Amino acid sequence: MLPDAACRTGAVIRHNTVLMLREPGPLASRLILPLAFIALLHPLYQAAQGSAAGASQAVIATLVTFSLLALSIVGGSILTERMWHTWERVRMTPVRPAELLAGKGVPVLAALLAQQGLIVGFGVAVLGLAVAGPALLGMALLAWTLALLGMGAAIGAAARSMSELSVIHDIGAMLLSSLGGALVPLAALPGWVRHVAPASPGYWAVSALRAALSGDGAGTLRACAVLVGIALACGLFAAVRAGRGGARSALA
Amino acid sequence: MATLQSERPAVVPAARSSGTPAMLTARGVVKRYGGRLALDGFDLSARPGEIVGLVGHNGAGKTTFVEVVTGLVRPDAGRVSVGGVDVLRSPRRARRLLGVAPQELALYVSATVRDNLRLFGALAGLRRGALHSAVDLVAEELRLTDVLGQRTGLLSGGQRRRTQAAAALIRDVPLLLLDEPTAGADPQTRAALLEAVRARAARGAAVLYTTHYLPELADLGATLAVARNGRIIARGTQEALIAGLPGELRLRLPGAPGVGDLPAALARRARVVDGELRIASTQPPADLAALLSAGCSPLSVDVRRPDLDDLYRSLAAEASHAA
Repeated sequence: MLPDAACRTGAVIRHNTVLMLREPGPLASRLILPLAFIALLHPLYQAAQGSAAGASQAVIATLVTFSLLALSIVGGSILTERMWHTWERVRMTPVRPAELLAGKGVPVLAALLAQQGLIVGFGVAVLGLAVAGPALLGMALLAWTLALLGMGAAIGAAARSMSELSVIHDIGAMLLSSLGGALVPLAALPGWVRHVAPASPGYWAVSALRAALSGDGAGTLRACAVLVGIALACGLFAAVRAGRGGARSALA
Repeated sequence: MATLQSERPAVVPAARSSGTPAMLTARGVVKRYGGRLALDGFDLSARPGEIVGLVGHNGAGKTTFVEVVTGLVRPDAGRVSVGGVDVLRSPRRARRLLGVAPQELALYVSATVRDNLRLFGALAGLRRGALHSAVDLVAEELRLTDVLGQRTGLLSGGQRRRTQAAAALIRDVPLLLLDEPTAGADPQTRAALLEAVRARAARGAAVLYTTHYLPELADLGATLAVARNGRIIARGTQEALIAGLPGELRLRLPGAPGVGDLPAALARRARVVDGELRIASTQPPADLAALLSAGCSPLSVDVRRPDLDDLYRSLAAEASHAA
C-alpha cells in the first residue's frame, strides 16, 4: 500500500496529465512546429556555417526558441488554476504544497523533455548531429527544463489574464531566444547584444547545449548551475505569489 | 433557548445543551484585512449531526470564517478546532476532517465531472475501488450520473453546482462546510443538494451551511447562527429565534380600509397594502378580538406567522438602527 503522500501526488499528476491531454492543441503544436521549423531552416544554417556546425546551430536554435514558447504550457497550467479557483480549492484538501507542485510539474516536465527529445532525435537521425557527451546533453536538457518550469510558474503566478500570459511568453520567448544567441550566433550580432546576452536564460541554455554537444564537461556544468539557479529563483517567486492571499484572492 | 445580542456574541446553546462534544469550535476569532475588520470575535460551535445555518448580509464575515476553518486564512486572534484538532497548529490534520464546497465555483472546466470527482476523492483519501464506488454513488445521489463523462465547462449552472457539492460530499467526513451551495441553483438542484446534506447530517456529520435563501434552512431543520459585522449576534433553534417576532394579521374590510378608524394601540402597528389592512402582531387572537370589539367587520382574516425572512428583516433593521 502506497503512503498517503505518494497517493495524493500520484492523483495530482494523473489529473494534470488528463488536463493536458483534454486540451492537446498547445502540446501538439509545440511538438510538431519545431520539426517543421528545423527542417526548413537547416539548409540556411548549413550554408552559413557548414555541415556539422549548421546542424548544431539548427538544433540549438529550434530547441531553445520552441522550448521558450512552450512556457505557455507551464504558465497556462498555473494561470488556469487561478482563474478557475481550483488552486485554492485544492489547497483546502490535505495535500501538501510540495505534493501539489510535484503533481503539476511532472506532466509539464515530461512534455518539455519530450519536445526537446524529439528535436534532438530529429537532429541526430536526420541532420547528422554529433553528440560528444550524451550524459552531458541529458544534464543540460534537464537543467534547461527546470529553468523553463521555474520561469513558466513565475509567469503563471504573476499574469492576470490569458492575454497577458500570451503577450509575456510570445514576446519574452523571442526576446530571450534572440538575446541568448539561439536564433543567430552571438558572433554575428551587434556588440551590445554580446554584453547583455548573459542576462538572458536563453544564453545559458545555448551555452550548456553547445558545451554538452562538444563534450565540454566544465562548460556544461557551469551553464547548468546558472540554469538551476534561475529555476530556483523563479520557483521561489512563484511559490510566494501562489501562497499569498486568502481564498478570495482575485485576479485583477 | 435562543439568544439575541447586539454587543457580545452568543454562546452556543445547541452545542452546550448536548452531551456530545462540538465537532467545530471557534472562539473569539478576529481577522483584519488592512483597516477592515472581517471577523470581530466570531464564536461558533457545531455538534455532530447538527446543521448550522450561518446567515447574514454580504460582508458579515461568513465566507471569511469558512476560509479560516479550512486553514487558508490565518486569523489574527482566536482559536478554531475541528474534531479537537487545532486548525491553526495542524491545518492539514484538520483538513482531513473537512468536506468543503466554496462559494465560488472551483472546478476544472476542461475536465469531465468524473475527472473532477476522482481528483477530490483521491485527495480526500479514497483509493481504487473505494474511489470508483464513491464517485458513482455521489453522482447518483446528486443526479449527475448522466453527465459523469461530460466536461464541466459544458454543464448547466445547476449541474456545476451539484458537481461542486459532490466534490465536498464524496467522502463521509465529520464536518461539512457548504458556502452558499445552492446559489443560482434551480429547484431540482436545490432539492437534490438539501437531500444529500440531510443524509450526511443523519449519518453524524456536523454541517455549516451558509445561505441567503432562508427557506432552505427551514427545510434542513437547521439551527441558526446570524452573523453581523464579523460576529455572531443570534444563535439558537429557528423556533426559539422566531418566537419573539411579530407575525401579521391581514384583514379585508368592506370599503376602503383606514388606519385612523382603529384603536390607537393597533393603529400604531397597522398599514394598508393593496387594499388590505395589515397589523404586526405577536398575539393575533387578542388583536383580532380588540378589532371586533371596536366594531370592525372584516370580510376575511388571515394570520401570517413569523418566518425566517422576518427574523432576517428584524435583525437588519436592528443593524441599521445601530448604525
